[in-house]
Amino acid sequence: MLWNGSENQDAGMDELLAVLGYKVRSSDMADVAQKLEQLEMFMGSAQEDGLSHLSSDTVHYNPSDISSWLENMLSEFNTGDPSFDQSLNLAESSSAVPNRRPKLNQSQQPCVFQDDSEYDLRAIPGAAVYRQTPDESLSSNKRLKLTDTRSELNNSLISSTMPVAEATRPVVMVDSQETGIRLVHALMACAEAVQEGNLKFADALVKQVGLLAVSQAGAMQKVATYFAEALARRIYRIFPQDPLESSSYSDLLQMHFYESCPYLKFAHFTANQAILEAFSGAKRVHVIDFSMKQGMQWPALIQALALRPGGPPAFRLTGIGPPQPDNTDALQQVGLKLAQLSETIGVEFEFKGFVCNSLADLNSSMLEISDDEAVAVNSVFELHRLLARPEAIDKVLKSIKDTNPRIVTVVEQEANHNGVVFLDRFTEALHYYSSLFDSLEGSGLSPPSNQDLIMSEVYLGRQIYNVVSCEGVDRVERHETLTQWRSRMESAGFNPVHLGSNAFKQASMLLALFAGGDGYRVEENNGCLMLGWHTRPLIATSAWRLAAGGNTDSH
Amino acid sequence: MAGSNEINVNESKLVVPLNTWILISQFKLAYNLLRRRDGTFNRHLAEFLDRKIPANAKPVDGVLSFDVIIDRGTGLLCRIYRPSDGEEAQPSIVELERPVAEDVVPVIIFFHGGSFAHSSANSAIYDTLCRRLVGNCKAVVVSVNYRRAPENRYPCAYDDGWCALKWVNSRSWLRSKKDSKVHIFLAGDSSGGNIAHNVSLRAVESGIDVLGNILLNPMFGGQERTESEKRLDGKYFVTIQDRDWYWRAFLPEGESRDHPACNPFGPNGKSLEGVKFPKSLVVVAGLDLVQDWQMAYAEGLKKAGLESVHQWIITLLVSDERFHTSNKNWPALANESKQGKSANSRNIG
Repeated sequence: MLWNGSENQDAGMDELLAVLGYKVRSSDMADVAQKLEQLEMFMGSAQEDGLSHLSSDTVHYNPSDISSWLENMLSEFNTGDPSFDQSLNLAESSSAVPNRRPKLNQSQQPCVFQDDSEYDLRAIPGAAVYRQTPDESLSSNKRLKLTDTRSELNNSLISSTMPVAEATRPVVMVDSQETGIRLVHALMACAEAVQEGNLKFADALVKQVGLLAVSQAGAMQKVATYFAEALARRIYRIFPQDPLESSSYSDLLQMHFYESCPYLKFAHFTANQAILEAFSGAKRVHVIDFSMKQGMQWPALIQALALRPGGPPAFRLTGIGPPQPDNTDALQQVGLKLAQLSETIGVEFEFKGFVCNSLADLNSSMLEISDDEAVAVNSVFELHRLLARPEAIDKVLKSIKDTNPRIVTVVEQEANHNGVVFLDRFTEALHYYSSLFDSLEGSGLSPPSNQDLIMSEVYLGRQIYNVVSCEGVDRVERHETLTQWRSRMESAGFNPVHLGSNAFKQASMLLALFAGGDGYRVEENNGCLMLGWHTRPLIATSAWRLAAGGNTDSH
Repeated sequence: MAGSNEINVNESKLVVPLNTWILISQFKLAYNLLRRRDGTFNRHLAEFLDRKIPANAKPVDGVLSFDVIIDRGTGLLCRIYRPSDGEEAQPSIVELERPVAEDVVPVIIFFHGGSFAHSSANSAIYDTLCRRLVGNCKAVVVSVNYRRAPENRYPCAYDDGWCALKWVNSRSWLRSKKDSKVHIFLAGDSSGGNIAHNVSLRAVESGIDVLGNILLNPMFGGQERTESEKRLDGKYFVTIQDRDWYWRAFLPEGESRDHPACNPFGPNGKSLEGVKFPKSLVVVAGLDLVQDWQMAYAEGLKKAGLESVHQWIITLLVSDERFHTSNKNWPALANESKQGKSANSRNIG
């Protein structure tokens, strides 16, 4: 049986196992059983050390692929004993499984990161490490303008290459009160009225929501208020456009969001982990960051590179950012701070900033990639903005490929807020942001500072306004799920690089450190890592490399 | 000591289809990695390896699910499964908790297994099982994501179960129309069965009505080594050694397996005579090494004059001669398994 990449990924898979989250081809079953027996045998005769080694030192990947998982462990026992190699019939099966992480020989295994190393976590910057001068970013005031930018609200067309939308709707509720139910009911009814063009009715409902929200408490009240406001904007066609609003305001909001909850820290941490592993052995490295903002991701990476056995590589960072209306060179300021940090740590550092309105304006020749450097492309919550124009994302993915990257790290919201039907989008967003706001409240044991909390809510609130009240190119918060992004990346010619149990463990430890545990959960999903609130995944980190033929690196 | 640490692979291969053997062996392998000799548990690796399924408010095969945090302080979460009434549109968030329609709706509070240490309410294996329960029993199922050992020992799991019972009992939307009461059943497999029993004890003390207990291969034990434990040790995926590890991880430090949580009708247990304990269905697997303890439990209920039924399950394939071949040729067995798959899969789970 032949399979074409991802087209028939589920073809020939054992149904019982598939339903339970495991991918084993029916034709591979005998082989998998044999591996299980073999591993059983080795483990039976292994010393206690051997067993604990498999548990604590071995990095596990993608447990859904049982065959590879077993192979990975079996290779731990195959240290130079030829009789073992002969008895294992691995060759046939290892080439047949798509999307497998390429098996590394013992000697190639990156030994840079020990499982329990603490320096990774200490290097996560808080605001203390990275001071922002507070007042310069508040200079511009937002002005509300009544601008009719669209004569009608048109829905985007489904392009023929758009991945199929997710069919599940995960819901996590915090024990609901009576008023909470009525509030949600009114919101949903209002959204439905808007979809049907029944604006008079919608208007009445929006007012009702406002009244109900007053008597509600906590996260529900805040979420309802933002969604009501968003609906009002849609009904009255208010699209606040503030040309004077600098991106430094949104950067400021994001910094508060960074402080108040672990989502961004997780994003940076997991992406950095993948980048570090990909950069193993490289003497010169170059990170292209699509989400530069205040550069919060990079101090930790620079720190980790500095501590690399054998010494740090030369580190080059290219930061992409939007133009500043007040003509300040925000990127350069960030670059300067990072340069100062690098100097104190002892890492050779070079920074270049690129200002552009859209990532699609870039092409790889501008980035001046040199042949002797290992390239990583990093995007945290940026790629979805390109989806308003289908050709934009394709262009950007092509540009990424043209940089010949060792690794591409993508972090995105785990939600489908880009569906064609408004009501669906609304409902998805309501569930998503409810969970997000709930998580901000925490369990009440360790509440974030008031200012961080308020600004984080504003940060998220702006996303809500965009998802609900904007359309066309103005609607930039076009979140899509991991499944959708996977499909897109694979179609564009990328293969997954799996994040393993070491990254999972460290991310979990990071949560315990910064979020007190508190309901946040890391989940492994076919080689990607997701952070969620209780059982609801909210953001997903995936890593990619060029599909075979595009890159000669084995990693 | 022969066979106590070594799993006798040959016998287990004969009694289940290949895909089931792979599934259980894979679990067993993972679990061996997670238990440490010093009694600690590799929780990070456990969570990494566990396959999870999110809740889904969109009906699939007539069942929809959603999660509720029922206790903010402990973060206790339950997954609610309910029938979708065959409507086309997806119920909005409001309708997830709309009152149950029928005159009588059983509400099954389900405690997943995992020997007190493994799995979660959103584990794929248990999400699948609970969905089936909804259809088979025409019930609402509430799966409790109780705190696990060794981080949370006795009585945490019971406390969480009790919290869930009170929560379910107080939901007006779960009341059957017939008598405006919630018709509660407690169910669980392995450690979940043990939790169901212990939560029932609290229920009778405080007057919450539990209509019945459903214990699937419940996890009980004791200091004594029973005949079934000695006979079946290591034969079918499970060993006395791992059972001991889990009890040491769950029970209070220093307690023996004759603690009443483990051995309810043992030397430290108490009789349920005169107690208004719910009637019980106890399902015992014929190849389970702790079956003697499960039978002793059923016996204890009987002695107290309580209504109980126990049911044997022996894998039907034992008598199927295709699996008695002495030629342990995996590819052939794989083919056999595939052909017989649709018949076999009904018997499992």
